[in-house]
Amino acid sequence: MARNLMRFTGVGGQGVLLAGEIFAAAKIKAGGEGLKTATYTSQVRGGPTVVDITLDDQEIFYPYANDGEIDFMLSVAQVSYNSFKNGVTPGGTIVVDPNLVHPTAEDRKMWKIYEIPIITIAKEEVGNVITQSVVALAIANTMQNAIDKQVLVDTMLSKVPAKVHAANLKAYELGEKYAREAIAK
Amino acid sequence: MATREVISTGNELSALAARDAGCRFFGGYPITPSSEVMHEMSDLMPAVGGTCIQMEDEIAGVAAAIGAGMAGVRTMTATSGPGISLKAENLGLAQMAEVPLVVVNVMRGGPSTGLPTRVSQGDVAQAKNPSHGDYKSITLCAGSLAECYTETVRAFNLADRFMQPVFVLLDETIGHMHGKAMLPTEEEVANGIVPRKSFDGAPEDYRPYECEHDQPAVLNPMFKGYRYHFTGLHHDAKGFPTEEIETCRKLIQRLEDKVELHKDEIEYNEEFFVDDAEILIIAYGSVSLAAKEAIRHLRAEGIKAGLFRPITLWPSPQDRMRELGAKIPKVLVVELNIGQYRDEVQRSTGRLDIDGLFKVNGRPISPYEIVSKVKEL
Repeated sequence: MARNLMRFTGVGGQGVLLAGEIFAAAKIKAGGEGLKTATYTSQVRGGPTVVDITLDDQEIFYPYANDGEIDFMLSVAQVSYNSFKNGVTPGGTIVVDPNLVHPTAEDRKMWKIYEIPIITIAKEEVGNVITQSVVALAIANTMQNAIDKQVLVDTMLSKVPAKVHAANLKAYELGEKYAREAIAK
Repeated sequence: MATREVISTGNELSALAARDAGCRFFGGYPITPSSEVMHEMSDLMPAVGGTCIQMEDEIAGVAAAIGAGMAGVRTMTATSGPGISLKAENLGLAQMAEVPLVVVNVMRGGPSTGLPTRVSQGDVAQAKNPSHGDYKSITLCAGSLAECYTETVRAFNLADRFMQPVFVLLDETIGHMHGKAMLPTEEEVANGIVPRKSFDGAPEDYRPYECEHDQPAVLNPMFKGYRYHFTGLHHDAKGFPTEEIETCRKLIQRLEDKVELHKDEIEYNEEFFVDDAEILIIAYGSVSLAAKEAIRHLRAEGIKAGLFRPITLWPSPQDRMRELGAKIPKVLVVELNIGQYRDEVQRSTGRLDIDGLFKVNGRPISPYEIVSKVKEL
């Protein structure tokens, strides 16, 4: 596998950090290399947050995604979308929550943009808004085919409390379903 | 060497290293981007019978840590640049009174409160001279996740060997990045612990500061019957204040020489594609990761670039830098400040034509910025 660069963006407090850690740890468990970095502002909640995930079979030195090389971005906040979209390679994939992020017409020509209501899925279908990071994880992995699903799900479950395993599994399945539907459209 | 794989962050690995190296006291005050070191220590210390205490501010945090050091315990504090500014007075005290202590500084943008959540290497000059007066800093700088662990372990051993504070510099990038680290086993680290020297003669013969011209004080733990005076003033063999001319001169010269004459025990560098290099990049900490990635690109294009990475920043590897500077025509220092270490490279190599690529806006330097700078040289 060549290098896979993914970027999750949101605002502080939404749980995008955890999704990045799960990706990196799952790739390492599968025998490869994974690194997660996060950049955030001194505004703890509400400030734009970006998580870069680098997955590779070779050793990774520089831990950030270079602008212009990012294959996949997921965004759940307009402010973060605006700040970080230009890092995505032309023709790359961007997933946004359509209730929170509104791409321009030019953006839609530049990138493959999919609209999936990530937060609504977590809040209403799973019943726990915190699971949005797992919905996002499932969407990213389904679209990027980055890691064996079972390894990723096992890693995810190892990082969340046992009492919410069922909710997070449901969140994963829903994320995968919506991602497949979005691709098929 | 037996190894184990750990998936973690630099800050958490530094705390894990402290525990494994026998640290049993942490005194501090949380500050971004170092807070996770203390957070982790608050879990790790009580589990092994140690103590982690959040004091009322950074000054009290280092004071408590120094007190634990005087009591004979391996001790640590962790902070960021603004915290070092506050701790400076007490760090000078620990240098003067010769108390071993590990100080982890996870660097963020400065001066003052600066850029709290963003990366910088602006505390390199501060680490050399955090306090007034003459003494020799020992400052280590981790350039990978694994080194957040191994350099913290080394810092504890050096602190006890040289009886003084030892800095471990991380930066926001390396402190917060999350990935795989291959670490030595706990047994291996435990076997490598060399405890500080102690005096076991009659208590009335105890002279903690009466030592060879190039050796550190021998401080027995307090409250064990070996009494001495503890002060930041110039002091005599028993620690009592004195202004006697030769005693004062010898004391400060010894603080210098105990490190300066034993640099070989402290120096530690990495050389990456240096043997045939025509362009030498000098970088440390997280910037060295971008430099390695840049060298991959440059070598693929047939440009012979190499990296010299000091892991011990202070005392600097001046002899090796002089050798490399005499051999390699183009030298570029890349750092997240405005040339704090380039000054040292210029001094060491005796060359004023050392190039620099610097950044001070809280953002990392990317491999591509290094590639294009190298091509301009």
